[in-house]
Amino acid sequence: MVLYYKNKHTYNHNFETVTLAYFNRYPNPYSTHVKSTDTIEIFIDKNGNLHQLKLIKKSGRLPQFIKPFLGKITTSWIIEKTIVNPITKELITFNCNIDHKKIIKVEEINFYKFNSNQNKTNSFVFVKFSSGFTNKFSFGLNIKDKIENWSKNKFSDNLAKSRKGLQIVMDSVNELLLKSKT
Amino acid sequence: MGNITSTSFAPECNELKQKYDTCFNTWYSEKFLKGKGLQNECEDFWIEYKECLDIHLAKQGIKPLLEEAKKELPFDENNNITDSQIQSEINKKSS
Repeated sequence: MVLYYKNKHTYNHNFETVTLAYFNRYPNPYSTHVKSTDTIEIFIDKNGNLHQLKLIKKSGRLPQFIKPFLGKITTSWIIEKTIVNPITKELITFNCNIDHKKIIKVEEINFYKFNSNQNKTNSFVFVKFSSGFTNKFSFGLNIKDKIENWSKNKFSDNLAKSRKGLQIVMDSVNELLLKSKT
Repeated sequence: MGNITSTSFAPECNELKQKYDTCFNTWYSEKFLKGKGLQNECEDFWIEYKECLDIHLAKQGIKPLLEEAKKELPFDENNNITDSQIQSEINKKSS
């Protein structure tokens, strides 16, 4: 089975603040597990959209029940693709781990769209959790379902924290932008 | 943003990354979003930084993983999302 998670959120900030904060969201007090971020690609396409590809390194532990199979994994690499449309004021982000994909692959899509009537930015997140385990490999213990469930629960537990982190960065970005305009 | 930016996975590239990131933030908010920046003015900074990254991506053996992941991104050559499930979620929200 593959598991999915969906959620939406509204930020009380304009598109400039939200996207600048997104691109600069690390470090923040809730992101101590994020070790590094690097811009691997950047270009503007023929329609004027800005594309970026980033590589993010995170530290993190896998649950106890997975250790007999794989031992201790302490880091993970994430690829992040983002596309900004400056006209429609939309940001699409795609994040996925690039290693340990057999164990669990987490594909996260975020979509941000500015609402000029409300001066707010609406967002939604859509996540896909898929483990490459087969029952044959997991000796009938149904490791696949177990790890997908674990990953989904962990994601939803951490979502509040990552939003708080982003919120902190948004507030400081907003302050800087206000300052630079006066 | 501001004084604290994230670090590079390769400490050797940190200084070049900081220069690029600072340039990017200014260009993005003052030019790109205002429709005044169809050229990435930070490209020279980025090229230097990327040269450094490439060396360390190869050294640390991450390059093959990254190349594989790039091929699996759910976007086609026109940058449309290829995953129909994701696209339908976006369509629902943006309409």
